[in-house]
Amino acid sequence: MTLPDFDPLPLTVSDLSLERGGIPLISGLSLRVEAGEALVLLGRNGVGKTTFLRALSGILRPASGDIRYGDVPAIKAAPAVCAFLGHDNALKPDESPRQSLAFWSKLSGMTANVPGAMAAMGLKALADRPSRRLSQGQKRRAALARILVQNRPVWLLDEPAAPLDAEGREKLSLAVTAHLGRGGLVVAATHQALDWPDARIQELTR
Amino acid sequence: MRAGAIFLREARLAFAGGGGPAAPAAFFIASLTLAPLAIGHSPATLQAAGPGVICFAALLAVLQGAERLFGEDVADGTLETYGLSGLPLSVVALAKVLGTALATLWPLPLVGLGGGIAFGLPAEAAGMLALALAAAIPGLAFLVAIAAALSAGARRGGLVIALIAAPLAIPLMVFTASAGRAAGLGDAAASANLLLTCAVSLFVTALAPFAISAALKARLE
Repeated sequence: MTLPDFDPLPLTVSDLSLERGGIPLISGLSLRVEAGEALVLLGRNGVGKTTFLRALSGILRPASGDIRYGDVPAIKAAPAVCAFLGHDNALKPDESPRQSLAFWSKLSGMTANVPGAMAAMGLKALADRPSRRLSQGQKRRAALARILVQNRPVWLLDEPAAPLDAEGREKLSLAVTAHLGRGGLVVAATHQALDWPDARIQELTR
Repeated sequence: MRAGAIFLREARLAFAGGGGPAAPAAFFIASLTLAPLAIGHSPATLQAAGPGVICFAALLAVLQGAERLFGEDVADGTLETYGLSGLPLSVVALAKVLGTALATLWPLPLVGLGGGIAFGLPAEAAGMLALALAAAIPGLAFLVAIAAALSAGARRGGLVIALIAAPLAIPLMVFTASAGRAAGLGDAAASANLLLTCAVSLFVTALAPFAISAALKARLE
């Protein structure tokens, strides 16, 4: 099943400053990510990659500056356009990937793409196993499948590949390429190499 | 109908992981069994203390699962995902608390009925007490949920929840126990107290989702 393309929705960050617990992390950052483009954030631990992603998701208010999707500020737009993968996988120990994906798909207003998302992340054999019996890498795959079923144009991924094996990273890369092909955009924070073709790299420094 | 999906999921999870109604019901029964050993077994004492003891034990039973209510969602990243679901957090809170409460707390009025009879209340007084409990439990569940949202992710959250929720529960405790006690004396104030219980419970249920939403938003930032 192929899903329709997204309306182009560029991300614009202008003169952004962020702080966490009173400590300034990012200051004066400006960038633009076009629809169909992937941005990979690099930087050492504690530089503010996660904080930046949380600001992009509208959860965290910037100290100053502006984040917009199209013309709409992130705080307003994000709940309708962003799919967010944090450090934690948002899985419940007693729920199987199939149940969890069916739920998030329903909550996102989609009903048809659960099997497709499970196939894309190689979860078919694990579909009915409760999450507490999945390995770290398998949990990450289930969480990435949730990003797929949410069917949002903007993916914000925090260390998406950390626990994944080579096959899992390959599947993630294919999913990202397919998402960009539909006119979506991806911002991912990582400190390990992600072999995503054509991804733009943004180094974050203090 | 997206709120309905949250309601069903939370009810299912409460059964799958939390043992559903078993834990609060067992806690309630255990407290009611122990109370007469502490307060004495003379029928007059039990009959007089019964409605109050039963209401208080019901509050403890509602508090019993509170720490898990939002604590787990904070710890496992579900809260962030709910926050970006496009539904207002107040709607998420309403669906979540109703789903969990219906799945876990439904036996409490029945246990309260049995407890009332065991404490020697006349049948109509035990029935009135059970009705008042049924009316009070949504309110109690939402009060406890406010406290749970305020303390979500805090260490020793259970203690904080009890400290926040106990004073908020005073009106519901007073009216619910009074309904049972007045019915035991054949006093017409019983139905007035039942109506007051309903009113407070509805008031709390209507406003609590907004308070929970504000607390969770603060927790997310």
